[in-house]
Amino acid sequence: MSEPVTSADTENSTQTTQSTQSTERSTVSGETDERIQQSWLDYDFEGEPKLASKELDVHYGSDHALKGISMEIPKESVTALIGPSGCGKSTFLRCLNRMNDRIKAANVDGSVTLDGEEIYQDGVNLVELRKRVGMVFQAPNPFPKSIRDNIAYGPRKHGDIDTGLLARLSGRKDQKKEDEIVERSLKQAALWDEVKNRLDDNALGLSGGQQQRLCIARCLATDPEVILMDEPASALDPIATSKIEDLIADLAENYTVVVVTHNMQQAARISDQTAVFLTGGELVEYGDTDKIFESPESQRVEDYITGKFG
Amino acid sequence: MSDGYGSKLVEGQTSALERVTTGVVGLSIVSCLLGMTSILRWTTESTEFLGVSLFDFFAIGLLAMGLTLVVIGVASRTGMVETQPDRNVGAFTAVAIGAISAVVVGLVVSQTLGLGTLVSVLAALVAGAATTLAMLLVREDIGSTVPIGVLTAVVGVLVVTGVLGPEWSWDPEAFTATFNGTIVIPALTVFCGLLSAWAAAKANEGFGTRGRQNGAYLLIGLNAFGMLAILAGLIVFIASKGIGPVLEGVQLGAGFDWPFVTNGYTLSPNEPNGVFPAIVGTFWVVLGAVLLAVPLGIGAAVFLTEYAEQGRFTAVVEVATNGLWSTPSVVFGLFGYAFLVPRLGNNTSLLAGMLVLGFMLLPLVVITSREALISVPDEYRDASAALGVSQWETIRSVVVPAALPGVATGVILGVGRIAGETAPILLVMTGGLRDNAPNILGSFEFTSSPPFVANDALLQSAPALPYQLYATITAGVSGDESFGWATALVLLLVVLSFYAVGIASRFYFRRKLHQ
Repeated sequence: MSEPVTSADTENSTQTTQSTQSTERSTVSGETDERIQQSWLDYDFEGEPKLASKELDVHYGSDHALKGISMEIPKESVTALIGPSGCGKSTFLRCLNRMNDRIKAANVDGSVTLDGEEIYQDGVNLVELRKRVGMVFQAPNPFPKSIRDNIAYGPRKHGDIDTGLLARLSGRKDQKKEDEIVERSLKQAALWDEVKNRLDDNALGLSGGQQQRLCIARCLATDPEVILMDEPASALDPIATSKIEDLIADLAENYTVVVVTHNMQQAARISDQTAVFLTGGELVEYGDTDKIFESPESQRVEDYITGKFG
Repeated sequence: MSDGYGSKLVEGQTSALERVTTGVVGLSIVSCLLGMTSILRWTTESTEFLGVSLFDFFAIGLLAMGLTLVVIGVASRTGMVETQPDRNVGAFTAVAIGAISAVVVGLVVSQTLGLGTLVSVLAALVAGAATTLAMLLVREDIGSTVPIGVLTAVVGVLVVTGVLGPEWSWDPEAFTATFNGTIVIPALTVFCGLLSAWAAAKANEGFGTRGRQNGAYLLIGLNAFGMLAILAGLIVFIASKGIGPVLEGVQLGAGFDWPFVTNGYTLSPNEPNGVFPAIVGTFWVVLGAVLLAVPLGIGAAVFLTEYAEQGRFTAVVEVATNGLWSTPSVVFGLFGYAFLVPRLGNNTSLLAGMLVLGFMLLPLVVITSREALISVPDEYRDASAALGVSQWETIRSVVVPAALPGVATGVILGVGRIAGETAPILLVMTGGLRDNAPNILGSFEFTSSPPFVANDALLQSAPALPYQLYATITAGVSGDESFGWATALVLLLVVLSFYAVGIASRFYFRRKLHQ
């Protein structure tokens, strides 16, 4: 793994030695340095890159939420995004399947590629993109429908299961295929045994942890390549959390998983590589999880991880 | 305040204060209810109640309640019973009691003493201000019991001594009406009874925060019951007047016959007249209006909520929708009469009625559907988008189903209103008393030229219950008043059954979401 152009430690120490009167000027000049430093494209992980962002900037109105993020996310592994509240980690995650398009004030510049293909260009089919890059939200959000309808929702809408009026009239409803998808997804999400006898019950009757696993199963049912998770366990109790964590580890065998969390122990437990975002929307350090937690290069990251800052 | 916040955490037995005040509350509620029956003329001054005539009961009850309240107040002030009163009754109660005192003093000065307007107004203002000020200076236990108790007791004394009796009457100079004792006494009983119940409820919990909470609870509860009582009273009144003619000639069993509902207006002396054509007309006109307004309204609401940029345009549409909803129905009727009728064969017709009532229903459907769509959580939209489902599919499969219970509520309210609308029907549909019902289903005909389908019955005037009611009772088209009451009862039943359908559909949609 090669060093970034400017070491974070030197950068940090120059800033701290400067007097408070000249702070404003120093941050202005520091920003350009940090832009270069924030490129983590030469981080050398094992395996192929799946997603890559280059010089990614996001503004919410006049608020500069994400500053020039450049990083690559390896295939079939778990990448954790950690950092304090408001540091831009969720914003970055939402850039990866263009969910930020749904926020009117958000303005995205730069580039994100999926398997080398630019997703921020004209003619990108958002429906297709989000089919390949699925997402699980912070709070469980099942639809007010039956468990089966929740899981089958995506495949039905994508035409993988034929349920149209014509199909129903001609008896072509793919009941068998639907059952297969429902069973496979629920098994992958480790929920099958708990709900297999009540697939037609309303999903809102499940517990919070079950609802979140249902949402993961719903996401898996559309057969994505990448799964983005926005603090998927923050609304859950410890037992449900550990189930979700085990599940994430299993998913990494077949899927590329990107997890936002503000729980550092969780990131250390579940992820292969970790990206640390700090206040101001900067990606301060990105590398193997072990290295980040044992010997981070940046003083700021060490302070954050050891609890002195954040 | 005897011992600061020393109210007991657990209160085992009921204290004497609680028992007495509960008795006062009970007596005042009974007096109020009896007073209402008397105002409605269901009872008279000579009706016996518990062995005394009703007005004597009022008098004795008022006296007892008033004196008890005064005693409670004094007992609390002197520390004989344990209470936790505030420093005064609070600004709102003080102003309310001040206003009552101003009215009483003003009436006494002008009517009893016969002094001029200026003097009485001045006296009223001075008395009101003085009472308000006094209320703010005395402790809560005195302030919330003694004035109300004195007022109640004085009314009781006046009635007991016969100064204010059933024969008493009052002709205010400025009014042409005469107020008789038979109405004034029960009205005063209801008024004083409510005040006493409120005061006693406050005393029941020992005044202070808990006392006010108790008083407010009583008043709010009485509001809810009052609303129920109005609805029940209205239905009972209409039903008692109309049930006779409605049930005339009913035969159950094999030869089932219900002439009032199944007959037309026969004009033959041998057969009972009926409202069948009007029921059918009302049914069709409401159905047509719903079929017109609901898809249009939901569509507009979906566009405004899901697609349109929230901003000036949606704000303008919102104002326009609210304006349309507040437009008087007779204006809608006039529009239909001047605009639609000339374009639909130049005569009043069922179709014109459907269109006008549909226009009236439309804004309410838009307003309530918008509210319902806005209240669908954004999480559903995000979840669906993240699954790679297009916006339209999301709206169709997730957002609209989640909003349907709310939409159904809106349609129920709207249908209740338009089913009873008279003015637009009078102007654009006007079917008089008729023997034959509009035959919509049987009148469809295929034609060889566009529009290929014709329906003569739609383009003819048709009867409807509200208009028929108006015609029989107000305009005197038919001489028989009981026919009108019976029509009113049937109209009420028809509207209520529309409600029942609406409530059932709302229940169905909600069950689908949550079961």
